Amino acid sequence: MTERYDVVVVGGGLLGCLTAWMAARDGAHVLLVDKDQVNQHASGQNAGSLHFQLEYRMVEAGEEAARVAAEAMPLHLDAAGMWARMEDEIGEPLGVRQTGGLMVAENSGQVGMLEFKAELERSWGLDVRTLDRAELDDVAPYLSRDIVAANLSALEGKADARIAAPAVGRAAIAAGATVRARSRLVGAHRVPTGWEVTLRETDRAGGERARTVRTEAVVLAAGVWTTELGRVFGAELPTVPLALTMTVTSKIPKFIPHLVQHAGARLSLKQSLDNTVLIGGGWPARLMRDANGVPAFDRKHQLIPQSIAGNARAAVNTVPALERVPAVRSWVGATTVAPDQLPLVGAVRGAPGVFVATGGSAFTLGPSFARVLTDLIAGRSPDIDLAPYDPARFAEGSVS
Amino acid sequence: MTTDGSWRHTAPERGDAVTISVDGEPVRACTGETVAAAMLAAGAAFERDRSGAPRAPLCNMGTCFECAATVDGRLLTRTCLIPAREGMVIKTPGRL
Amino acid sequence: MFDLAIIGAGPAGMSAALTAADHGLTVVVIDEQQRAGGQIFRQPPETFAGSVLHPTAGYGWATELIRRFEADPRLTTEFGWSAIGVLHDDAEPDGLCVAINHPEHGTRMIGARRLLIATGAYDLPVAFPGWTLPGVMTAGGVQTLVKAQKIAPVGDVVLAGAHPLLLLVADLLIRDGVPVREVAFAQSIPTPVDMLRALGAVPGHLRMLTETGAILARLVRKRVRVSSRTIVTAARGTEHVSRIELARVDRRWKVTGAPREVAASHLVLGYGFSASTELARQIGCELVFDSPRGGWVVAHDERLQTSVPGVFVAGEPTGVAGADQSRAEGTLAGLGIAASLGRAVPAAAFAEAERGIHASTRFSAVVQSIFEPVRGALGDLATRETTVCRCELVTRGELDDFLESSPFVSNVNAVKLSCRTGMGPCQGRYCENSVGAILASAREQTIGLGGRFSAHLPIKPVPVGDLRDLDAVTEQPASDGSDTGRSAS
Repeated sequence: MTERYDVVVVGGGLLGCLTAWMAARDGAHVLLVDKDQVNQHASGQNAGSLHFQLEYRMVEAGEEAARVAAEAMPLHLDAAGMWARMEDEIGEPLGVRQTGGLMVAENSGQVGMLEFKAELERSWGLDVRTLDRAELDDVAPYLSRDIVAANLSALEGKADARIAAPAVGRAAIAAGATVRARSRLVGAHRVPTGWEVTLRETDRAGGERARTVRTEAVVLAAGVWTTELGRVFGAELPTVPLALTMTVTSKIPKFIPHLVQHAGARLSLKQSLDNTVLIGGGWPARLMRDANGVPAFDRKHQLIPQSIAGNARAAVNTVPALERVPAVRSWVGATTVAPDQLPLVGAVRGAPGVFVATGGSAFTLGPSFARVLTDLIAGRSPDIDLAPYDPARFAEGSVS
Repeated sequence: MTTDGSWRHTAPERGDAVTISVDGEPVRACTGETVAAAMLAAGAAFERDRSGAPRAPLCNMGTCFECAATVDGRLLTRTCLIPAREGMVIKTPGRL
Repeated sequence: MFDLAIIGAGPAGMSAALTAADHGLTVVVIDEQQRAGGQIFRQPPETFAGSVLHPTAGYGWATELIRRFEADPRLTTEFGWSAIGVLHDDAEPDGLCVAINHPEHGTRMIGARRLLIATGAYDLPVAFPGWTLPGVMTAGGVQTLVKAQKIAPVGDVVLAGAHPLLLLVADLLIRDGVPVREVAFAQSIPTPVDMLRALGAVPGHLRMLTETGAILARLVRKRVRVSSRTIVTAARGTEHVSRIELARVDRRWKVTGAPREVAASHLVLGYGFSASTELARQIGCELVFDSPRGGWVVAHDERLQTSVPGVFVAGEPTGVAGADQSRAEGTLAGLGIAASLGRAVPAAAFAEAERGIHASTRFSAVVQSIFEPVRGALGDLATRETTVCRCELVTRGELDDFLESSPFVSNVNAVKLSCRTGMGPCQGRYCENSVGAILASAREQTIGLGGRFSAHLPIKPVPVGDLRDLDAVTEQPASDGSDTGRSAS
């Protein structure tokens, strides 16, 4: 017999788990599926930054690009508030600490960028303050003497990417959702009540079987697989995959309370609640592709020596004490951005009942994405204007 | 040659005597001997785990990291792999 | 760029290096130890006067292989250096960059057209109450301390596990005057027929059992108790082991009765071996789960090339099958690599190398099945309070609770991510077997389906500062192949 659900969420990352949890809490009959494991990909592989200032990648392309990127600020402000309440609502630790984030500058050019950025961010309602060297001595004595100033956003911080999505997955189950790993969506067609989707599942003996499920709504929460899954539903959802490098150290006594980013270099670092230091910031890795050049997301992406070295150099230059701290793992996580650096959030045009969210800071913004998706599923109008994030904005003939 | 440790030397011809420092205490060793072997024979304690429980080498082949210590300032150095040298400073502050 | 970089200077690495050099390849061999030999033939330090390698009976060839290897001026060797990872550099599309690290000299990059993974094996870890206490050590660990460092345990010793290496270590200890109280085997002691079939193919110690009779006689003479169907269920003590609990088990190693206590200061564990496959994992080679052959082993073709082009494997990482087979595979890999680089390798040479492998594998399957660990039963030795992950202090109870509350988890990497098992300095080498067995039992699935831990650079932790040199120019062989020099590629 065909199983029936109100919502099928595709993708067991943080966003998928949050959406399943919120929709189930809303009273919907929810199935969450992941072709692999919950939290196995970007949600569990990213470094867990809660960053609400514009990132280096958004400002390195110039002021106009920064202004466009700033249009995501309403989502950031919303997410900052949601993260602050999340552990209470989930009822489990998620490692959330909003103890402030610093974006540091080493020279006058970077200080100028900080000033421009702070003004832009304040115009969108994000409270950002520029600290001079004397203040940094007091607030962040671990920073290199070469750092001359930093922008501080008190809302920034971290969540623990290791544990967040599984904890939300457990909350989703407690709210009545069904969560299935090793269940890959391979087909979909329209039926009068919504969609019939085909799932290819692996059983305990390693065998494969197909499962057919009917649902009124489908949520694509699939990160780098969004474009591929969109085609299953006949939709074009353009995304740009990025393979990024991260490194984690062994445990050392706590000395970095902030999220630290750099205004002139690819760097983000923070000390986790486990006392390890997570180092990243957008250093590229080699995205594996098949013979036709199509990204092969199921393969192991490759580290690039120059990226690991460059990231380590940026980290040691900014926080000199890291030089002697043992690095335990450098790995690659694949994430995705939209061509204009703004997320894709909303209803999928041409596929009624199908909704999508991805792009950019999907970990940081996950709670807000999930909330507006849950509103859309239930037919409510989200309180955030989603027009700038319309998934159809790249389609031919669309008005941007 | 017996020591007060839980291990003892069996071959007397061990190379030139050197002295290393383990948590401030002098430990006799000899060239060629690994720091871990010297510590075992001297009854020197290895780094304790986060709970304060004692640990000691498990594998003696560089894979288990139970013998790791801070050696001349280098954190997490496997003492089973490095030969003792005169003046080497070993510290075992306790793991996190 | 070197033609070939070999990781591991044990029987496989040494024979591959000599074979490859014979075919004109420039070869660099990297090993963490100070001298050639690998774990099985670990040599005493050169400074120990009169201390020479005494290979286990049946391994007369080892002395000669090491001598030839050490004397060969064609080979570049890097002892005391750890291979921390292998990277692909766009600047060198025809080769691989091997990152090596030394505690005092930092990181260097070595370019090579081909890579041979000959990283050996390590003792199979088994978690049970008290296994983190000082005084508990693996059979391989005790063997190398006794043979290569010339030190011996003080006080009574119990050896326990399932692998005949225990007999060899007990014998070594007795020869050093160490009081051995008991040698306990989980299985029935192999029958004389089994032993005979096993000759020549005991994992890690191929011909060891030729001496079994003599060893057993010596143990009996010293009044050492040799027990079968007996497993160690706990090590007790505060600062050091003082008591050991041993219990009877059934044919599937399930504990059947209350344990008895034996007073001892040292517990030596020997349940068999796990293949060292971290480097293969880091590079992205395909692995398969094969319990009798050492758990996760590296998949390869008939010439020992892995699923990653240019990367070959020889010795225990192909399946734990002993030093004879490792040596034979090293020779075949050396030939295969030479052929892959366009060197003329006569078909007869391949045929002879393959005969060498067949000669040693003839016995392997039998032996591997006799000594295959019963992984499920070993997983059950961990009680709720038992530390499963020694680095991160994760208990069996925490794992059980997590698996119960998170029904969607069915892969060891998902367990690793949530519970931190395998995230510490040993990077999972010492808990993967326990986590795999516990997960398989909880989900009623095979260990293979539960997957294996991923491995990442650096496969042995190094300071963040040392990662800054990963973009250093790769080193090239000197023109005479006897030394390295830095030059732009």
